[in-house]
Amino acid sequence: MTQQAPPPALTPEVQAMIGVSGDIVESWGVVDGEYMRRFTQALMDPDPRYWDDDFAKSTRYGELIAPPIMVSYLASRIRPDQDDPITAAFEENPESDGIGSVERPGELPPVPTNLVRVLNAGNELEVYAYPSIGDTIFFQNRYSDIRERLGRDGTPFLIITRETRYWNQDDVTLCITRASTIRR
Amino acid sequence: MTTLLDDLLSMQPEDIWRRNERPDADGLRDKAQIYYEDVNEGDELPKYIYKPTPTHLFRWSAAIENFHRIHYDLDFGLNHDRNPSILVHGSWKQSVVPQYLKDWTLPNGWPWKARFEHRAMLVPGDVLIMWGRVTSKYEKERIGFIELEIGMKTQDGIESMPGTATVVLPLRDGPPIPYPFVPPSD
Repeated sequence: MTQQAPPPALTPEVQAMIGVSGDIVESWGVVDGEYMRRFTQALMDPDPRYWDDDFAKSTRYGELIAPPIMVSYLASRIRPDQDDPITAAFEENPESDGIGSVERPGELPPVPTNLVRVLNAGNELEVYAYPSIGDTIFFQNRYSDIRERLGRDGTPFLIITRETRYWNQDDVTLCITRASTIRR
Repeated sequence: MTTLLDDLLSMQPEDIWRRNERPDADGLRDKAQIYYEDVNEGDELPKYIYKPTPTHLFRWSAAIENFHRIHYDLDFGLNHDRNPSILVHGSWKQSVVPQYLKDWTLPNGWPWKARFEHRAMLVPGDVLIMWGRVTSKYEKERIGFIELEIGMKTQDGIESMPGTATVVLPLRDGPPIPYPFVPPSD
């Protein structure tokens, strides 16, 4: 009796998700010195380009700059004028892990697959400009790539790449991040 | 002259910590430019050594508003997720990468891009070594591109974040690197 090949993971419905984008989200607040102080101290980056006005004016940037990847965390701040999903997650389930059930703005629709196990497959970061104090940050998620691979046992799995572009009020791209996950 | 990665990995954790080459504010203020011509294949970048504690982890969670309990709730980490301890954040590691590349390319180079994977769980008590090594270099449109192998190893030599990066350095007689950065056309 011949064994039936497992069904493909990259179905037409899954493939149709490549290029699907989420809403453009304007982050709450702006890039500010206090957020940056906490971020850079926690990162342990003492660069005076982040806090020394006089020195920053003498650099090629001519002003204080902010770490590029900081905007990806700043952009996920929960707006104070909306229901707080963190509080809701813990009210619904005191054993919440604090992250799994928390909906964030700009999320992408789920990929229609019954593969449920999620593993981190890697990250990419491209940097084009440093954020400035006072910048308003916009971002948009997109499924930039979905590929099928075969596991050692011949079972297909997916590698799903979600790209996020961050830009400022002048439409200057600051950075692009890509996070790939394995779905088994 | 940086301590070579292989030499660091033959040392005891406290000796690795003494070789920390993370610059302070003045070191970053006065950083001399590295030019494309100064760099050779096989060169190693300075080693940034970290000894994360629960306080460091909590501070990072608070700074980025990451409420994932595996990073600060030891009971949850041990008994719910069956982790060996609270875990060092992948988000912190991936934020160190652009910092590391920025510092090396300052003041007028550009830390263009990086890709890496997260492997191995890191916990308080580990001594971590952020490292980089030049794998190749090329010139395009009169600016220099440096390809790097990067990673963050534990004191035991376990690679927790294997990756690659491309940074941009000026040529000694070359034009300034465009800002905002514009990659050269293929």
